[in-house]
Amino acid sequence: MEERKPSWLLKVTVTVLFVFLLVPVLVIVPLSFSGENTLRFPPDSWSFRWYGELWSNDRMWGAFRTSLVIGAVVTVLTILIALPAAYVIVRLKVRGSELLYNLFTAPLLLPTIVIGLAILIIFASVGLLGTRLGIALGHLVLTLPYALRILATALNALAVTVEEAAASLGAKPLTVFRRITLPLIAPGLVSAGALSFLVSFDEVVVTLFLAGPEATTLPVEMFRHLESRSDPLIAAISVLLISLTLAVVLIVHRSIGFSTSFTR
Amino acid sequence: MAPTRHPAKPLNMTLAEADMRHGTGQEEPAAGGFLSLQGLGKRYQGFTAVHHLYLDVPRGELVALLGPSGCGKTTTLRMIAGLTPVSGGRVLVGGRDMTSEPPYRRDMGLVFQSYALFPHMTVERNVAFGLEMRRIGRAEVAERVKEAVAMVRLQGLEKRRPRELSGGQQQRVALARALVIQPSILLFDEPLSNLDAKLRDEMRTEIRDIQQRLGITAVFVTHDQAEALAMCDKVAVMNAGRLEQLGTPTELYERPANPFVASFVGRINRLPAMAMGTKAKVGERELRLTQPMEGNIEVMVRPHRIQLEPAGSAATESTNRVQGEIRRTTYVGDLIQYVVHVDGLNWSVEQPTSASATLSPIGAKVDLSWRVEDTLAFKSAG
Ligand SMILES: Nc1ncnc2c1ncn2[C@@H]1O[C@H](COP(=O)(O)OP(=O)(O)OP(=O)(O)O)[C@@H](O)[C@H]1O
Ligand SMILES: [Mg+2]
Repeated sequence: MEERKPSWLLKVTVTVLFVFLLVPVLVIVPLSFSGENTLRFPPDSWSFRWYGELWSNDRMWGAFRTSLVIGAVVTVLTILIALPAAYVIVRLKVRGSELLYNLFTAPLLLPTIVIGLAILIIFASVGLLGTRLGIALGHLVLTLPYALRILATALNALAVTVEEAAASLGAKPLTVFRRITLPLIAPGLVSAGALSFLVSFDEVVVTLFLAGPEATTLPVEMFRHLESRSDPLIAAISVLLISLTLAVVLIVHRSIGFSTSFTR
Repeated sequence: MAPTRHPAKPLNMTLAEADMRHGTGQEEPAAGGFLSLQGLGKRYQGFTAVHHLYLDVPRGELVALLGPSGCGKTTTLRMIAGLTPVSGGRVLVGGRDMTSEPPYRRDMGLVFQSYALFPHMTVERNVAFGLEMRRIGRAEVAERVKEAVAMVRLQGLEKRRPRELSGGQQQRVALARALVIQPSILLFDEPLSNLDAKLRDEMRTEIRDIQQRLGITAVFVTHDQAEALAMCDKVAVMNAGRLEQLGTPTELYERPANPFVASFVGRINRLPAMAMGTKAKVGERELRLTQPMEGNIEVMVRPHRIQLEPAGSAATESTNRVQGEIRRTTYVGDLIQYVVHVDGLNWSVEQPTSASATLSPIGAKVDLSWRVEDTLAFKSAG
């Protein structure tokens, strides 16, 4: 069979799209090696000084650590909540499963700023504002719908009879879950976890409402920094963030590619 | 008490030991089977898949569940295994009510119609799974897995995963996985549907052999009636969620309880008639019946119980005969199949080739005669 060649129109469109999406990101990299005091492209001189500045900037490092911790906690909580929820909705098919699923995934459709405002109002009254816990809970509202959707899809793809076969061979429900269900939805778990981490890690809108002097995340700290100054420090941080995100994506890709190679 | 551990069953176990193993010994009611379905029913919203099913399977017997597609065979097996909740009725094993026991405590091996292999495990791990659940030592697991794999002729494929196997090979893994645990009850859902004729024959023998040697009670779903008749002690014929008849192959074949069973098990010719006592009128002709009946009936005769004779041969006391005209003849080696036009209906007649060396020509007028005992008669519906 002859392979279909993409038409030149398609090629041009794809190229334009790539340039449009990626060039702004790629411009960041040379900017981070600027020797200037302002964000200007192209810079007149080159240096590593902004990486040095970043290294000694305790505020940024503190925010980075907070982001990492919150991201990790949010990821774990998301999986711990979304996995049983998806199981109940998909497998047990309790009355109102459909409704529950729609309710859980509704935040995907709402403007983030509205969610942020709503959380602000509620958290203000219970004293969660400006705490790491508050930020983590706020992020959870955003990550749960994604995770639930991914895990529900993974569970739906797994034939019930496979779990039933294990049960008929003498496996108790927990054993079935551990030895059959879990390994078979592992790719879904990895994507759900990675996505939750990334969503939490670069969330700005909701976090802006919830952050305080005691607890800020890296993106919020960057935002605040930009409000007062526009030096290439931001570019240096961005390069680190891009690397981290790429690393997570690569890990996910590797592990899912690996597991799909034996679970189909 | 629930059997939480399942010790390995030695092949040369005595009957007494077998009784102790099942923990039922004397309590088992003499009348009921080891596996007893009592009024089992399944309703889906507005649709009844299985109606009040009563079925007793004595210990160590293999009962076939035979019926057309969609008649409720899989649903019945799943209720026995505890995978589908029953809408009514009970499942007893050795007199013990299992209806509300979870599947993992029933000690039943189930071969799924869809195989349901574990996609992330190799053939070997798939087969070993049930043994591991029974906490059997590693050495014995390896030994028994090897035996089971050899039994289903899959040596050399132990390290493959299900998606690297053909449909028939997958089906054999499913078979090995259920047989290797030597459960007290085996449930087969069309376990040989995907195998070639030779392999199917071999597997039938293997299944029957293991089942008899270990005295396992088994239900074998199939819609291949030859398979049901050939390998099972009894056959339960189902239709539209109901049990039509339970009997030995001979009973079903020679004394079907109703027209459905008569036509579903083996082939049969039908002829409407008017019964008066032990006589039935077909047009001008009179047929003798084995029992007195009245009114509109349907007379049925199996194709190979019929003799073809030249038209006008004299009737005898012990035979029935009708007239017909040969429409088609097919020579299939060991027999000749005739299509004979009888009273506006096409009958099929089979004659062994040795008996009739000459082929009756198409268009020939013939008499079809058969013994009175071979005459089945049922009241016409409506
Ligand atoms: N979950 C369900 N909801 C509604 N109806 C169902 C469900 N499962 C099965 N049925 C219906 O119940 C009937 C019996 O199904 P079952 O699978 O037991 O048939 P079967 O005898 O095994 O057929 P086959 O030989 O084709 O496998 C069918 O008419 C089927 O459509
Ligand atoms: Mg079926």
